[in-house]
Amino acid sequence: MSAQAFTLTVSRSPVLFTGLMTDDRQTLANGLRRRDPDALDRLIEQYQQRLYRYLLFLTGEPALAEDLFQETWIRVLERGHQYNAKSKFESWLFAIARNLVIDVSRRKKFRSLEELADPESNQPFEPPDDHAISALQMLVARENEQAVQLSLLKIPAYYREVLLLRFHEELGLEEIAAVLATPLSTVKSRLYRGLEALKSALPEGAA
Amino acid sequence: MSENLHTRAQNLLAQLLVEGLGAAEQSWLDAHLHDCAACAGEAARTHGLLQAFRTVPVSVPRDLAARTQLRVRLRAQQSAPSSTSNALLWIVTTASWLLGVFSAPLVWRGFAWVGTQLNLPKPVLELGFVLWWTVPALLAVAVVLHQRAAGSVTAGNRP
Repeated sequence: MSAQAFTLTVSRSPVLFTGLMTDDRQTLANGLRRRDPDALDRLIEQYQQRLYRYLLFLTGEPALAEDLFQETWIRVLERGHQYNAKSKFESWLFAIARNLVIDVSRRKKFRSLEELADPESNQPFEPPDDHAISALQMLVARENEQAVQLSLLKIPAYYREVLLLRFHEELGLEEIAAVLATPLSTVKSRLYRGLEALKSALPEGAA
Repeated sequence: MSENLHTRAQNLLAQLLVEGLGAAEQSWLDAHLHDCAACAGEAARTHGLLQAFRTVPVSVPRDLAARTQLRVRLRAQQSAPSSTSNALLWIVTTASWLLGVFSAPLVWRGFAWVGTQLNLPKPVLELGFVLWWTVPALLAVAVVLHQRAAGSVTAGNRP
């Protein structure tokens, strides 16, 4: 066997380095406590891509993701005094967004989103509901119709979420656990199962 | 090659992505991938999969940030506590407290005089004295709490 050896590494994307340092976080916390609109403007600019992507991945609906994007920042304004500069701002931001998604899912009874509120690692693999995935598929397909990328969207939302936080946002396991308010062991379990689900969702011969 | 070795390699590949590997495990995996085409192929497939996952194109809707900034600013203006009214409240509270402290002996003498004139028992006088000081303060607290609650509802402030 003369196969080329592959060494997989969890690469650090540039977005990681746009994170805030400790001093910056203290400055940010002070700004949030003062409800400084300029500080919020900067944060909205800085985190728009990451927050919108997170919400879109969770909800699968662009319009809902937009609404929740705005609601998240309103909540950041109202609860800014609760931000602790010892933790990453993005973890706190994602936790707020996630709670809003769960609130909406409870009100609207979205099946795929309910899984987020009460995820069970032993649940069988099921694709999300057709409506949610079709909206997201349309959005993705408009820019890139590659089968690989579409297949990524077939996995349950609670797997998609941890995969996004780990491999897109590159949060640490403890940080993901904080966002999800779940034990570290659950995060790991979901990541392992999510990777498997991702592989299963991929068409034969792709990637 | 033993089936167990391939299983171990697959497990380590997943562990590498989720938790990371120690030096010994990483070395073992590298050596195995070098010798095993099937596992190396699986590693490449997983790598490609994650690359595809990372590059799913998501475009933020045009003006979403600007619309959000505007909405946040409006909300901030609506729900901003009035610094002027707060300052006034503190001034009035402080003046009231000072006046209360320094006028207490005079007020007590007044109560004692009224009690003497009306032949009221001492506990009634004491109760009246206590109410004289506490009722206005409790009413003021109730008004402030009511105003804050109304402000929160207006701002849509959720707990």
